[in-house]
Amino acid sequence: MELLRQASWLIWKDLLLEIRRRESLVTMFFFGTLLLFVFHFAFEMPRERAPEMAPGLLWLAFLFTGTLGLTQLFQPERENHCLDALLLSPMDRAALYLAKVFFNLVLMLVVELVVLPLFWVLFNLDSWRLLPAIFMVAFLGTLGFCVLGTLFSAVTMRARARELLLPLILFPLMIPVILATIRTMEVILRSGDASEALDWLRLLLGFDVIFLTAGFLVFEWVIEA
Amino acid sequence: MERAQPELPQEKSVLHVAIRSLAKAYGLLWALREVTLELKPGDCVALLGPNGAGKTTLLKLLCGLVHPTSGAIELDGENLLGDPSRLRSLIGFLSPSEHFYENLTVAENLRFFVSLYGKRESTAEVTRILETVALDSRANEYVGSLSSGMKCRLAIAKWLLLQPKLLLLDEPYGMLDGSGVDLLEAYLRGLAGSGGIVLMASHHVSRVLALCNRALILHRGKLIFDEPKQEPWLTFQRAFGEFLPRGEQWSS
Amino acid sequence: MEKRHGRSRTILGGLTLVSVLLGLYWGLVQAPPDAYQGQLQRIMYLHIPTILTAYLSFFIVFIMSCLYLWKRDRRDDILAYSAAEIGVLFTGLTIIEGSIWGKPTWGVWWTWDARLTLTAILFLIFVGYLILRSLIEDENRGAICGAVLGIIGFLDIPLIHMSVYWWRTLHQPPSILRPDKLPWENVHPSMLIALSINFAAFLLLYFYLLSLRFHVGEMREEVKRMKLYGGA
Repeated sequence: MELLRQASWLIWKDLLLEIRRRESLVTMFFFGTLLLFVFHFAFEMPRERAPEMAPGLLWLAFLFTGTLGLTQLFQPERENHCLDALLLSPMDRAALYLAKVFFNLVLMLVVELVVLPLFWVLFNLDSWRLLPAIFMVAFLGTLGFCVLGTLFSAVTMRARARELLLPLILFPLMIPVILATIRTMEVILRSGDASEALDWLRLLLGFDVIFLTAGFLVFEWVIEA
Repeated sequence: MERAQPELPQEKSVLHVAIRSLAKAYGLLWALREVTLELKPGDCVALLGPNGAGKTTLLKLLCGLVHPTSGAIELDGENLLGDPSRLRSLIGFLSPSEHFYENLTVAENLRFFVSLYGKRESTAEVTRILETVALDSRANEYVGSLSSGMKCRLAIAKWLLLQPKLLLLDEPYGMLDGSGVDLLEAYLRGLAGSGGIVLMASHHVSRVLALCNRALILHRGKLIFDEPKQEPWLTFQRAFGEFLPRGEQWSS
Repeated sequence: MEKRHGRSRTILGGLTLVSVLLGLYWGLVQAPPDAYQGQLQRIMYLHIPTILTAYLSFFIVFIMSCLYLWKRDRRDDILAYSAAEIGVLFTGLTIIEGSIWGKPTWGVWWTWDARLTLTAILFLIFVGYLILRSLIEDENRGAICGAVLGIIGFLDIPLIHMSVYWWRTLHQPPSILRPDKLPWENVHPSMLIALSINFAAFLLLYFYLLSLRFHVGEMREEVKRMKLYGGA
């Protein structure tokens, strides 16, 4: 309980800073929208090919915007030696991990909440009733992304060229979540039914659970290193 | 302008610190070599030495921010690396104009950090402490808008609230004005008087020597001097003479 | 002490050389050409041992990373780092050998077959490991961060395996190379012997390289220690 109490204080702090500094969310949102335009110039997507192309494009946009968020994730802690101040306290280090996962998850979900319908509008898709299901899958995928991304954002935090390094080591590790998310979305779009994609959903869920546990356990060593 | 005296920590429980052949290397450089010393309750220790002598490294090792290359730090017989979360709440590290979120207000910063120590301070408590350090009028301003002296006062307020048993200070005098110095020294005297330990690194030799009851000198990572204060202090003058900054005079 | 280590390393090197030569002889001369693939199949005598030792290598990275995080012994980290380097080397070799075999067999250098994809991802993960190590200056921090990547990267392998296989089997009909069958069905005994000898040879070669690389790491540590303590 102490863990959750500390985590909620950390989340309160991050949300407050984000509201005041408006560094991550606005950038991420406009970058996501920008990517949709770039995709539109790069591909002509006829409506009937949407089921196979849309998931990949969408997830690519989320992946890039998410990475943008991750590189900024520990920025407040880097400034003014605030990380030292956190580490001085008897705070449970896992609380910091949970708080950062949650914070990045919130940022990405807010962006996705806007970018998903926008995608449907910009690419003239008509399968609006599948949107909630797609959003749920995106949520599970985003959770996996944040769980692993937060851990490696901390790993690369004190490395040289960290903004370049982070996607380099994160993306290969993310392949299961990338594949699972895209395939689930594809099956849903094609069949209009989420139950067809249960195997992929299970894999996605398994990934989230395994790496949340792993991150929870090893984060303390990383952040104190 | 005299403000209310900061209240002294009430608990009488005490802390012993034992440092055993502590060493820290950064890459190919020793920052600290084979330092062995003990800090007893009531010690108010001046940590002196030229730039790069390892003062900050010693302080950071003592508060667990840096891990030693070899050697051990024991607090009441417990290894600092063994059960950190219990021991951490006993240690304070006052580093002026650092350690605060610039886009949180003064009061928010205090409430946030105090909450991480598992304490719940009422708004009244926070206001009272801010009055003590003369920041009550700035309670709702961002820390980023404070001057460095005010940030230093805020740091004092933080540790006044948290009441550590061992307080480490890294060059606290640089930023403070006269009343700030009085405030800090009253707090440190009170802390040492009630059985706490103060270890302060500074270049303001005469000032820290007036305050402290023991002095350490580090030179190139080695502890070359460790004595309780006495009058007159010829051994200290001899040991410190060669590091005296130009223009600064030390007299007993 | 060091002398004895040096001698046993020399012996290991000699054994490696002999077994590699023996393996080449069996693979190139003694074993008959494959019924379908002809001479081309002989590259398998190198290909399979290479990838298996690469997997072994990443397993060693995993074990040593866990041990390092637990005990904080510098030597565990040196061993993990060494194993990662050699693992990347062997995985790279595997991919090259695979392409050499794939071009005449499938007519392409590369295909998105499940096993190829898995190997390539593995390669990328541990290249990332090496880059991470080179970009963190502080030694302890690098060791800890590397250990975390080593552990997560290894734990990721079954998940990548599963997702990539499902992707390949659910998404497209299985390719020429079916994952559950080796390219040859009826194996001639001398083929098996050639494969075993080569496997042993690669294991020896692997441990020889690992001990050399570990020795280099230890010497580096020793030099650092001497500089640190000598400069007192």
